[in-house]
Amino acid sequence: MSDAIVTNNDPAIDARTAELRDEHLRNRRVRIDRMFCWLFLVQWIAGIIGALTVSPYAWEGKVHTVHLHVWVAVFGGAGIIILPILLAIFRPGTTLTRHVIAASQMLSSALLIHLTGGRIETHFHVFGSLAFLAFYLDWPVLITATVVVAADHFLRGLFWPESVYGVANPEWWRFLEHAGWVAFEDVFLIWSCIMGQREIAASAARQAQVEQLSEMEQLKSAALEMAMAEMQSASA
Amino acid sequence: MKRRTAVTAVLTLAALIWAGTVGAMYQSIRRFETTAGRGAEAPAAWPASSRIVPARDRWTLVMLIHPHCSCSRASLQELERIVEMSGPSLETYVLVYRPSEFRAGWENTDVVDAASRVQRAHVVMDTNGQEARRFGAFTSGQTFLFDRDGRRRFSGGITSLRGHAGVNRGSMDVVDIVRSKVPQGAHPVFGCAIRTSATESEQRR
Repeated sequence: MSDAIVTNNDPAIDARTAELRDEHLRNRRVRIDRMFCWLFLVQWIAGIIGALTVSPYAWEGKVHTVHLHVWVAVFGGAGIIILPILLAIFRPGTTLTRHVIAASQMLSSALLIHLTGGRIETHFHVFGSLAFLAFYLDWPVLITATVVVAADHFLRGLFWPESVYGVANPEWWRFLEHAGWVAFEDVFLIWSCIMGQREIAASAARQAQVEQLSEMEQLKSAALEMAMAEMQSASA
Repeated sequence: MKRRTAVTAVLTLAALIWAGTVGAMYQSIRRFETTAGRGAEAPAAWPASSRIVPARDRWTLVMLIHPHCSCSRASLQELERIVEMSGPSLETYVLVYRPSEFRAGWENTDVVDAASRVQRAHVVMDTNGQEARRFGAFTSGQTFLFDRDGRRRFSGGITSLRGHAGVNRGSMDVVDIVRSKVPQGAHPVFGCAIRTSATESEQRR
């Protein structure tokens, strides 16, 4: 994602600014990709522990079998995180990786919400995840996450609305109300992403100027030393 | 070049697994949550053989639960809400399934703890599901509401899905019947089985 660079009317400084900014953003995003890898693993384990604690078995009188929630937590949870983790390992820092991570993180939220029986408190995971995704300073990632949340609510609202809204016949636009609260948070996070990018660009511009000044000083010193050496050899 | 091709192949496979998992997960969760348990074959009036004594001056609500059914936590949350909304005009019994051959304490679960926290509710052990048989109940969370004359006015579950608490037709019906807004009601019941054909044939032997 490129953004406006504080221009110095000097193509060399502008090019160096863009280079420094891109390098800084890339390093930052690679680090966050790796952090998400760990987060995915922690969430996966937490989901399994939660399922084993809350609903380990399904019962039929005296007979019990492993509860569907446990299988979903183990295999569903693993299936959701396998792609983003592999992308973070083999394609770190790329746009595709960030968007897949965003979608998978929202799917992890949906899974955790389900495993806790739709607890309202677990819905806060969505909002926490959006804040974490904003660390990328790449606002389209937040749009992907929001679309996944909205699609999850829309589809469940269409096929089994009680699981999201508790009632069988909610208004068709109810998913927009839920997505609206996510969009509300997005507004502030998108603004913080843009501001963050500007700060990084400004910092890169300052560094590029300092580098150029330092380079000029070095050239001047070298020229001075050469002139001094010529004068010394002429007087000898 | 070989490594690049291998990585692309692994990522493609992971993408297929990812997409397949999302689809399969939604499908299995949906099927699990929306599949109701076996409905009660309930008598129209209070079963005379029951050891539970119904109230004669108010409504009597009976809920049957399996102590290890995690979905019944949601039923008990709804029951708590119904009791709060209905006040003292409701006498509440929660019958807890307990097979006699299981070790002592098998029935001590957080589900039963939640039942004992419901205001004014009587928690009664139902050894070998004898009361469940008398009431014709098969599924944990099955709820009955009887009027002062012992006539059954509601039979069904009080959650909209397995393990999901929240506003639903079943619990609204119970409250409306107690408030004399509607004469009777029924709703699918979601939960683990208390009685199965296997336990029934075993019982008969």
